[in-house]
Amino acid sequence: MSDARKKYLLSLFSSILMALVIGAVIMAVSGHNPLEGYAVLITGAFGSERSIGNTLYKTAQLCITGIATAVASQGGIFNVGGEGQMYLGAIASCWLGAALNGTSPWLAIPLCLLAAILAGALYAWIPAILKIKLNISEVITTILMNSIAIYFCTYLANGPLKTTEKGIVSGTASLDRAFRFSRLIKGSNLTQTVFMIAVVTLLVWYLMSRTTTGFGMKLTGENSRFARYAGLNAGMLGILGMLISGAMCGMLGMFECFGLQTRFKTDFSNEFYFDGMLVAMIMQYRPLGIILMSFFFGALKIGAVSMQSQTGISSELILIIQSVIIFFMAAQEGLLASLGRHSSARRANRMRGGVKS
Amino acid sequence: MNLGTIFSLSTLLNTVNTSTIVILAALGCLMTDQAGIMCIGIDGMIIIGAFAGAMGSWLCGSWVMGLVFALAAGLLSGLFYGVLVIRYHSDEFIIGVAFNLFAQALTTFLLRTLIGQSGSFHPTTGEVVKIPVLQLGRVGDTQVQISIMVLLAWFLVLAMWVFLYKTPQGFWLHASGEHPESLRSVGRSPEKQRYFASLGCGLLCTLAGAYLSMGYLSTFTENMSASKGYVAVACVIFGRSNPLIVFFATLLFGFIEAAGLRMQGFIDPTLTATFPYVGTILMMVFLALRQRTRRGHRAAK
Amino acid sequence: MSQEVTPVVSMRHITMQFPGVLANDDVSLDIRKGEIFALVGENGAGKSTLMNILYGMYTPTDGEVLVRGERLFRFDPNEAIRHGIGMVHQHFMLVPSFTVAQNIVLNTEPRRGLFYDFRRANQIVEELVQEYGLAVRPTDTVRDISVGLQQRVEILKALYRGADILILDEPTAVLTPQETDELFDVIRSIVRIRQMTVIIITHKLNEVMAISDRVGVMRQGKLIGVCQTCDVNERILASMMVGKDVLMEPFIREKTKATEPALVVENLSVLDNRGLPAVRGLSLKVFPGEILGIAGIEGNGQSELAEAVTGMRHVQSGQIRILNRDVTGMDPAQIRALGVSHVPEDRIQTGLSGKSDIVDNLVVGREKEPQFSIRGFHLKKKRMKEYAEELSANFDIRGGGIHTPTQSLSGGNMQKVLVAREFSSGSRVMIISQPSRGVDVGAMDFIHRQIMEKRSEGCAILLISADLDELYRLSDRLCTIYEGSITGEFDPSVTEKREVGLYMTGRGEEAGHE
Repeated sequence: MSDARKKYLLSLFSSILMALVIGAVIMAVSGHNPLEGYAVLITGAFGSERSIGNTLYKTAQLCITGIATAVASQGGIFNVGGEGQMYLGAIASCWLGAALNGTSPWLAIPLCLLAAILAGALYAWIPAILKIKLNISEVITTILMNSIAIYFCTYLANGPLKTTEKGIVSGTASLDRAFRFSRLIKGSNLTQTVFMIAVVTLLVWYLMSRTTTGFGMKLTGENSRFARYAGLNAGMLGILGMLISGAMCGMLGMFECFGLQTRFKTDFSNEFYFDGMLVAMIMQYRPLGIILMSFFFGALKIGAVSMQSQTGISSELILIIQSVIIFFMAAQEGLLASLGRHSSARRANRMRGGVKS
Repeated sequence: MNLGTIFSLSTLLNTVNTSTIVILAALGCLMTDQAGIMCIGIDGMIIIGAFAGAMGSWLCGSWVMGLVFALAAGLLSGLFYGVLVIRYHSDEFIIGVAFNLFAQALTTFLLRTLIGQSGSFHPTTGEVVKIPVLQLGRVGDTQVQISIMVLLAWFLVLAMWVFLYKTPQGFWLHASGEHPESLRSVGRSPEKQRYFASLGCGLLCTLAGAYLSMGYLSTFTENMSASKGYVAVACVIFGRSNPLIVFFATLLFGFIEAAGLRMQGFIDPTLTATFPYVGTILMMVFLALRQRTRRGHRAAK
Repeated sequence: MSQEVTPVVSMRHITMQFPGVLANDDVSLDIRKGEIFALVGENGAGKSTLMNILYGMYTPTDGEVLVRGERLFRFDPNEAIRHGIGMVHQHFMLVPSFTVAQNIVLNTEPRRGLFYDFRRANQIVEELVQEYGLAVRPTDTVRDISVGLQQRVEILKALYRGADILILDEPTAVLTPQETDELFDVIRSIVRIRQMTVIIITHKLNEVMAISDRVGVMRQGKLIGVCQTCDVNERILASMMVGKDVLMEPFIREKTKATEPALVVENLSVLDNRGLPAVRGLSLKVFPGEILGIAGIEGNGQSELAEAVTGMRHVQSGQIRILNRDVTGMDPAQIRALGVSHVPEDRIQTGLSGKSDIVDNLVVGREKEPQFSIRGFHLKKKRMKEYAEELSANFDIRGGGIHTPTQSLSGGNMQKVLVAREFSSGSRVMIISQPSRGVDVGAMDFIHRQIMEKRSEGCAILLISADLDELYRLSDRLCTIYEGSITGEFDPSVTEKREVGLYMTGRGEEAGHE
């Protein structure tokens, strides 16, 4: 194991430890017993068949969104817009699905999946092309596009695409029973989609780390000028990363609606993408790390739900812990980088986009 | 659709009120940009300010205390950002994004766990005392009223412009971002300038947040910043850190939002809610295209 | 000439340890009042570090500094300025968007109440111009003035703060020969008129001989020796700098017999980043097995020429043919595929990916070849590692194994990675820009040998450099470039360097030849 990797693992584990300590402090300050809180966290994640199912599904969710963040980052574009891409994928597939009600699932499901992928990829393509051609910061565009997507889909679900079924206040038409993915463990969120998520995650991981395409993306993401000089098509590779990322998010949108909901509902997501994005940031966009740590964070998230209902400690604590981990790791990494810095070349400011001379 | 409804006085007032949040936050972001450590965590600072302001106002029964709480939170936030980015050389982009998520989670957590409510803060006893509003009489059938924060914001825009372009301190701040070593070589610490910018950013952004929960709206709601922080960042980029142009950009944004509200009569409100965000993106595209043609023939491929 | 014996500056047992690098190793040095002292050494010898300590930009790990007998207790530019020390850095400490006046009075701005008194600032600069005879315009924006003028602003900045000990760090690196002469005149006059002491850091030995009274040589952090300039010559200084007798032996060469040029540039016009013409109607030919040297001072279009030929810059008009194919307008990928490799000027930003490890940097561009990937898709990681090990051994790349991120390597080793990659790709045409810039003499010799070997393999090499010695050693034919055009073509074996130097500055007519 190389020196750099050892340092990284040390930094990771010490940051997690520190963050858990801070979590305990926060619990204590708000009048709760930290030990009790953490204990419920564990039982909440693994205590019953149902909760294990939920944990596994959450792990899968984090994997796909985390890898989606990572693949875009590898190409040099930071995708903060996965939530929006997920929404568009969801509504596109639900709309198509409802339209195909009555047809064979072997026809409908692949078509709906395709719709989800295309919708997500297209929505990701917009900020990607703006970044590549006009150097507009993708962080701002993707975040703003999240809001646009959510509002727009809400509008569609309550307006033009609203179902005519009785008693439904908002949402698209119900999907044919035959189209829905069934649960593997009764009462839990673990649906058949978990297999597909696993396949997709592994495929993208393979692409990222073992292929010439992934190799090209990596080098493009690190130094696009160098990539061009070396003969790589930097623009295309960057966009490819975003397209794959958007496609994955769109897919998740479809899986959620076809698996856990019966239609497109405007509240089908609870910031699922951001959870995965945080894991990716903590694991510094390394695919293997993301897959492994998805389990750890998945357990935390599911456990937190029980923690909230049993002890009253809000589940937002997990997000707090995650961001604290990032703070610690960013500080350690920054410190290391500044010690080992060679040239005085100033770090290119990612936000600027060529505005200042 | 009657143009008169869009360009009416009440739209104008709405524009002014909405944009005040963004202008204050943009001024804060602008300071850090001048210092070379542009903070994109301002969305988080706004939420923290909104929470602290609402809490302070409710707890102490006065809007002044609300502002004090918010500003204190601002100093802490600014210090936090400053230490991580300046002392520990962390990547300001990662810290910014993480801070936004952190602030969102923290304020939601505090509302739910400490106060025991969720969604929105509805005090059972007492209330969130709002920042005073100046009543300027009636024009037609519209009551003209503007918050004192609006006036403060406009004053700060001018003050910032004077500071940056007409005082030596403004030049130091700019030098610390454009060429920190030159400042160091004449014996002034660029790091101190950056801390100054961080703290200033924290103060201004939490002030924006305080206005949000104690003026524009009347209580704290989870996630209430609604990505306005990112809009502010876009305005700073658009205005190239010139306070006057940034101010113009925020007014533009405010206008689009206000016009959207106006159009809710005949266009679905969720659709009009997208307008400000679409507008911001279009603004950035416009800027980028103009830059491109100004540079003329792009020599390097 | 120095008059007194007590030194105006005394640095005693200075040691400076950076993480991983011992920049100054127990250096003791005395400077006498009123002298011009040259501090020489190769890149990385520690000269800049030493002077930065004197100016208070760094705090030494050990040792002390005395100025006029008074010990410096704090290392801080303010302290240095208080003691009358001023420094003109190699990379100017000027804020590009500020005016000349604003830069000169930075941190000591005249005020009217709370506000900046711009008028008074301009006045101050006018007064300085009168006093020292260094002409600059206070209202010019620094970004828009020439490098030579920028340097004058830096000097005025130091003089304004009352410096009478002036440190100049590689001042001539960015100047034309004419500007260098002007600078030296300025130095001589301020030393004479104001009894200033000047310390000049340089690696250009001919300049040392021209301007200094005494010279100190540093190597690998140590001060090797201090001599009176009149007692030494360039050869002696060079061997002190390198530690061995360095003879840049000329290579024995066989002239190429090829008749078809491998690289043809016809009437090429290219714009620079500001949209102004950088290359104007330039034509040249390079034959297989020959090295065509392009001699020119930075900023005369060479960078743009190299970028255009390698597909990194848009061509306005003209044609480029490589191995008989028209490549005008092709992108770098296509050009490389024809068998072209490129050693870029800007090694670190353009030529390497700092965050990636050595393996990735060595393989990039060739990952789709059958030896590295199955069907151009699946990477053969093991083979990539083996290849990296091979090249590391052949090119003596050191710094921690093939999985080390390139940015953690020393400058010299980073160069080697780049050279290893570009020289091992079996190319038929090579574009090499400033190969030995920032490289020490040992590595430079190694690179030169690699270039000669490629030449004997039949490669056509376009060698762009500002170093005439290097060009003379390597080139078969030599062209000078000035303001975007070829101004002359020479045979290095018969033409004097002085004449080529004149053509480099556009003054070829003075040579009295056509």
